[in-house]
Parts: sequence; C-alpha cells; structure tokens
Amino acid sequence: MRTVLKKILTAMRGGVNELGEAVVDGQGNRILEQELRDSEHELKQAKQELASLMAEAASLARQIRTEQDSAAKREDDARKAIAAGQEDLAREVAERIVGHERRASELTQTRELLQQRIVGLKERVQKAEKQLADYRRELQVVKTNERVLRTTAQIDTNINSQQSSLSTAKETLERIRERQAREEDRQTASATLEKELTGADLDEKLKAAGIDGEQDAVNDVLARLKGGNANP
Amino acid sequence: MDTQSLTLALGDATHSGRTFDVMPIAGEEPVLQVIVSGAEETPVYITVTDTQILCLAYLFDEQELAPERLNELHENMLRISVPMPLSSLGKTGQHYVVYGALSPTSGTSEIMQELVTLAENAIDLLQTFEDYLA
Repeated sequence: MRTVLKKILTAMRGGVNELGEAVVDGQGNRILEQELRDSEHELKQAKQELASLMAEAASLARQIRTEQDSAAKREDDARKAIAAGQEDLAREVAERIVGHERRASELTQTRELLQQRIVGLKERVQKAEKQLADYRRELQVVKTNERVLRTTAQIDTNINSQQSSLSTAKETLERIRERQAREEDRQTASATLEKELTGADLDEKLKAAGIDGEQDAVNDVLARLKGGNANP
Repeated sequence: MDTQSLTLALGDATHSGRTFDVMPIAGEEPVLQVIVSGAEETPVYITVTDTQILCLAYLFDEQELAPERLNELHENMLRISVPMPLSSLGKTGQHYVVYGALSPTSGTSEIMQELVTLAENAIDLLQTFEDYLA
C-alpha cells in the first residue's frame, strides 16, 4: 500500500496527471490485478485442500474409535474365555486385541500428522486472505485516483466548451454575493409588506412624530383622577 | 445506484426545501453535474464507482491563490476539514476541491443530504478563504 501511495504522490507532484493520465500506468494496474487473481487462486486452492484434510481427519477419528470399541469388546470376550478355562481361545482373542490396539495407535499417529498440516494450512489461508484484502485496497486506491483524474478532466473539458473558460473563484464569489444581496432585499421587502398589512408601519410613524395613542389615554386617565377635570 | 437512476431520482425530488438541476457531463466516465437550488454558484459533480459514490465541488485553482500565503491556507484547510459536516477538502490536478464519498448502497435521501451539504459547504469555504486569493 505504501508503495502505491508514494507512486501516486510522486506522479502528482510531477504534474503527470494534467490531462487525467493514468498515474500508476496501465501496466502497473494489470500487474496488481494479476497479483490479485493469483492470490484469489491460491486462496481457493488452500481452502479446498483444507476442506479435504479436515474430512480425512474426521474419517480417521471415526476409524480410531471403531478400533478402540472393538478392542474393548474383545477384552470382555477374553475375560469370559479365561473364566471358562479356555486358555487357547483367550490367547486368540488377546491377539485380536493387540491387532486393534496397534491399528488404533497407527491411525492416531497419522491423524496427529494430519492435524499439524491442517494448522499450517489454516495459517496459509489466513495469510492469503490478508494479502488479498491488501491488494484489493491498493487496487481501489489506484482505480479511484484514476477515476477522479479522468472525471475532473472531463468536467474541465465540458465547462470549457460551454463557457469561454472555467469561472474563477472571484467570479463565483461575486455571484454568491449578488444572490445573497438579492435574498436580503427580498427579506427586507417582505418584512416591509408585512408591516404595511398589519398597520405596524403607521404606528411606527405616529410614534416617531410624538403621537402615541396609548400614552395619551394613560395621561387622560391620570389627569381625571387628579382633578376630576379631565374633559376640557 | 448508478448515474442514470440518480438523474431520474433527483430530477423531481426536493430535500430540505431544495431542488436539484441534474445534467450529465458528456464523456467516457459517467459524471453528473448537479445544481442545488439556493447554492447555484457551486455545482456538485457526482461519479459512481464500484466502491463509492464520489461527490465533489470546485473551490479554486492553484494559480488563483496568493503563493506566499499557500502554507497558511493549507494549514487552515487541514484544520477545517475535520469538523466540516460530511465533506473533506482535497486537491486534484490544479483544483482545490471539497468532496464527500458515500457507499454505493446509499439511498436517494442520503445522496441529496450530501449534495445540499456539499454545495453549501463550498460556498462557506469560498467565502472563508477569500482572503487567500491573489
């Protein structure tokens, strides 16, 4: 990942990308994609192998159990034969028991070797999965970078063909200010209209001219209370 | 979500009192230009890839900036990028951009939210960084 990011930055500083040129060239991209496919393939194989080894281990466990069960059963038989004084028969059964036990121990050894291979393979699968995730992330960065460059190149070409040139930040700011001023004017106008409709504008004018209906009424009442001579 | 279904979805939609004027940008890549009402000066461009929906708006070009204040501007841009809602600051080619990336599984409502936020952020950023223009 580090290598990819550094490559992108180096190419950017060099100004390679002005026309949306691929920064990590097509070749590099193909190599990355090939690595991704190889990793995917390896992962698939490792998983298949792991599955078959695990199936084999399960089958061995079953066989070991069968041998152990048979041995246990024959021990009963041998005891009965000894109890019945059938020494020869008991020996024959004992030989069988030895056979079962030997096979059980051989199978157990095989199974242990198999378990070791399973552990190793699981590690390989995990490693391949991590590697795969890394490659995918790298490829995503490379592809997104290329897409952004191509996209912006496309936008620029388009805008340039429509207008004489891409508008500058100053022009944009000017247009933003004009719109904001228009919005402000509209708000002031609607506030004025609102006042006119409610008569609030007239009240304000009267107040400004020192004519305040409310204040006059209060003065009248006060004068009446003081002297009873309110009405001229 | 692809650009075609986005065009259809945004054409008649409103979001927080905004409408969207959508225009495809001719070329090999699927790119849309979206003009958000009330923020017409800063069009937002959308492109959809396998892994993300990328929305971006242009702020200014390198040659428009006062070179001696470039470091200070960069520092301020990095600092403001973190708290700014849904958008980050970046540079592609000579263009300084504000952008946001969404998951390709985002719904129309998330995309509209992003578009409105991005267009408004672009205006705020332009006005904030006006002093750095040459």
